[in-house]
Amino acid sequence: MAAEPYDVIIVGSGAGGGMSAYHLTRSGLKVLMLEAGRHYDPVTETPMFNTNAEAPLRGASTPDKPFGFYDATVDGGWKVPNEPYTVAPGSEEFTWWRPRMLGGRTNHWGRISLRFGPLDFKPRARDGLGYDWPITYDDLAPWYDKTEKLIGVTGRAAPRHLTNTPDSPDGCLLPAPPPRGFEIFYERAFRAMGIPVVPMHGAVLTQAVEEMNGRNTCVFATPCGRGCALGANFQSTTVLLPPAMATGKLTITTNALVYQVDLDKAGKAKGVSYVDRVTGEHHAATARSVVLAAGSGETARILLNSKSAAFPNGLCNTHGMVGRYLMDSVGLNVTGQFPALEGLPPTNDDGMSVEHTYVPWWAYDKHKELGFPRGYHIEIGGGRGMPSAGLARLLRDDDLSVGDQLRANLRQRYGSAISFNGRGEMIPNDDCYCELDPVVKDKWGIPVLRFHWRWGDSETKQAAHMATTFLEVIDKLGGKPLGHVERDGRKAISKGGEMIHEVGTVRMGAAETDSVVNQYGQSWAVPNLFVTDGAVLVSSPDKNPTLSILALAWRSSDHLATLAKQGAL
Amino acid sequence: MSADPKLPETPASEPYQPKIDRRTALTWVGVVGAALAVGTGVVVYGPKTGGGKAVAAKGYGTDPKLNPPEKAPWPRIMTQGQLQASAHLADFVLPASGPAPSASALGVPDFIDEWVSAPYPDQVKDRPVILDGLKWLEDEARGRYRTGFNDLTSEQRRIVLGLLAPFPATSPQGHFFRRIRSLTISAYYTTPAGFRDIGYIGNVARAADPGPSDAVKAHVEGELKKLGL
Repeated sequence: MAAEPYDVIIVGSGAGGGMSAYHLTRSGLKVLMLEAGRHYDPVTETPMFNTNAEAPLRGASTPDKPFGFYDATVDGGWKVPNEPYTVAPGSEEFTWWRPRMLGGRTNHWGRISLRFGPLDFKPRARDGLGYDWPITYDDLAPWYDKTEKLIGVTGRAAPRHLTNTPDSPDGCLLPAPPPRGFEIFYERAFRAMGIPVVPMHGAVLTQAVEEMNGRNTCVFATPCGRGCALGANFQSTTVLLPPAMATGKLTITTNALVYQVDLDKAGKAKGVSYVDRVTGEHHAATARSVVLAAGSGETARILLNSKSAAFPNGLCNTHGMVGRYLMDSVGLNVTGQFPALEGLPPTNDDGMSVEHTYVPWWAYDKHKELGFPRGYHIEIGGGRGMPSAGLARLLRDDDLSVGDQLRANLRQRYGSAISFNGRGEMIPNDDCYCELDPVVKDKWGIPVLRFHWRWGDSETKQAAHMATTFLEVIDKLGGKPLGHVERDGRKAISKGGEMIHEVGTVRMGAAETDSVVNQYGQSWAVPNLFVTDGAVLVSSPDKNPTLSILALAWRSSDHLATLAKQGAL
Repeated sequence: MSADPKLPETPASEPYQPKIDRRTALTWVGVVGAALAVGTGVVVYGPKTGGGKAVAAKGYGTDPKLNPPEKAPWPRIMTQGQLQASAHLADFVLPASGPAPSASALGVPDFIDEWVSAPYPDQVKDRPVILDGLKWLEDEARGRYRTGFNDLTSEQRRIVLGLLAPFPATSPQGHFFRRIRSLTISAYYTTPAGFRDIGYIGNVARAADPGPSDAVKAHVEGELKKLGL
C-alpha cells in the first residue's frame, strides 16, 4: 500500500484503469485507485465447475443476473440499484451495462482480442465518413505487441496479409486450440463462398507466457464469462492488479463513486471528490495527476459534473465535445439447426470458452456494390456445451414427445445448433451522445446521464446484410434457422449499448477544437488530467474494443510516466 | 469438479418427498415465520384457487453469493398436493429409463416449485400457467373419476395426462403442457444424471485440448461430402 501524497489517482479498475495502474506503479509512481464497485476476489468468488443444477432457477437469466446466475458481473448489470440513467424522449433505445466491482467488465467479457487495423484509424481519409485518429496503426502496433505478450492472446498462425486484419509479429500470440466439429463444419460453407475463416484471438493462456505473475494456464473446461479463479484468461483482477499491488505502490479504495475532478487555483487537477456508496459519506482525494478510466459513460459524466467558473458546462467541455460521438457495435444473431450435426458421437467441446475460429470482415473492396460503407466480423458459437435451462429450445416447435422418444430426440439434436453473431462497425453520428439529465439525480444527489441514440443507415443496412449472409450459410450447410429471422435491418439491429462496446465520449484528436484529449489521452484543457478508457476512441471498428483500450492505456500511461519523471505535471 | 447437488437418484415414490435439504427448508420456515411475525402477510402458501396470487418475495439481488452458489431465497408457494401432481407430470415427461433416473427422483418438482415461486417476470408469468394447469388436472380427475388427481390409479392418471398434448399451443392446457415439459427438461438435463443421459462429457480440467475425436471428424467430413462441401 502506498501512502499519500499520491502521484496519480486512477478512477476505475477495468481494462483502462488496470493497465494504467500496472504501468504507472511499475514506473515507480505512487497510485491511488478509486473503484465505484465493491472489492472482488476471483480466486475465492468464481464458480468454476458448478453445475446449473446448483444455481437458483438452474442458472437462468433474471433481471438481477441478466447473463445468468453464474455470470462474473456482481453488483451491477443493465440496472444498478440507486444509480439510474435516462434515455431522451424520441431517442431510439439505449441500454447501459455497468458492473460495480473491482476489475469492472474485464471479469465477464468475451475475451475476443482483435487488433484494430490501419484503415480503422483513418476512416475519413478512406471514404470521407467518420473521423480520423491522431495516430496510425503503426503508432499503436508496438503497444499491441506488448499487450498481447503480457495478457496472453491465442491465434498464432502464418501471416495471412488480410486487409485491415493485422497479423501479429512472431512471439506475440499463443497457439489457438484446434477447431471443434461444428467449426470444421461451418468453415467449409464460408470457404465455398470465398470467405476466410481464421483462428480466433482470445485472451486465454493456452500456454504459459513470460510473465505469469501467479497465473495458471487454461484447463479447457469452464466458461470464461464466470471469470477464472486460475487467472488463465484476462481479467484486470488477475493479470494487472496483482503485479501492480506487488510493487507496494498501489492503494485501492472500493465503493468510491467519483463524481468530480477538483481543480486548484492554477486550473490544474488536484484530485477528485467521491461518495462512499456504502456509507454515503463524501470524500476528497488528492494527487499530482488524475487518470479517468471509469468507462465511457461514467468518465463523461464525471467531466460534465465537474463544473466551475472556468468550465461552466463541465470540465474540458469548452467546445461541447464531452459526451459526443458515443458509439457501440452493431449486433445481430441468427441461430441455425443442422441435421448434419445430429447424432455426433459424444465429444468434449468445452475447450477454451472463446470461439476457436472466427470470420474477419472479408469485403473491403465491395462496399460500393453492397450499399453500406463498413463491415463486420462473425463470432460463431456451437458444440456440446454444458446443458443450460434453455435446452428445450433445441427441439422442433411441434415436438411434444415424452419418455424415451423425448430422450432420444434430445440426444439426437444436442450439439446440432450453431449461432452466428455479427459484430459491426458503427460510424459516429450527431444523434448519438450523452449529456447530464436536467432533472434526475442518483441516490447521492449527483446528476445522471441522459442518452440519445439513433442508428444510421450505414448500420441498419449492415445488419440486414448480416441476416442475409447468415441465412445463406445456414442454407449451404443444410440447416434451418431457429425462430423467426427479422430481415429489416432497422428492426433486427441490436439496441444502442447492448453490445457493451460503448466508446467515444471523450475522443482524442489532433486539435483542441474537435477533441477532448490528445493522442496520449491527455486533456487539452487540464494537462495533468488523462483519460485511458474507451471514451478516447475516435472510431468503433467491428473489432471488440478491449485489446485496443489496453494498448492505448499502456501507451498513454507511458507518456504520463515520462512527463512525471520530467517534473512536467 | 463439483459434487452432485445432493439429490438422491432413487426411483420416484409416493408420496413425493421434496429433495430440498434441511438447512434450506429451515431458511424458508424462517422467512415465513418472520413475515407472519411482523404481520405483513406477504407469504401465501398453496393458493386455493390456483390463480397464482402475486407473492411479494425478493429475488437474490444483483450480488448473490456465487461460490458456492447460494440457494434461492424466496419462499415456495406450492402445496404438498401440487408438488405431488408435479411429480406425476414430470415423470410422465421423463420417467426412469434404464440407468437414467426419473424426473421426480432428481427433484424436478422442487425446481418447478422454485420456478413458480420466484419473483422475476418470466417466472411470475409462468406461475398462473402452471398452477391453473394443475387445477385443471385436478378438476378433470374429479369430473371423470370422482377422485383427486393424485389418488387416481396409474392407468387413470395416464389417461388424464394424455389429454394434454392434443390441446393447441394457444390453449391454456396446451401452453401448460409445453411449459411443464420445458421446465422438466431444463431441470433434468442440468444435473449430472442429465449430462450422462444426453452425452455431455465436459466440465473436467484438462492439460490440453486435443480437439475433436477422429470419429467426430469422420462424421463431419461424411456429412460435408453429402452437402457437396
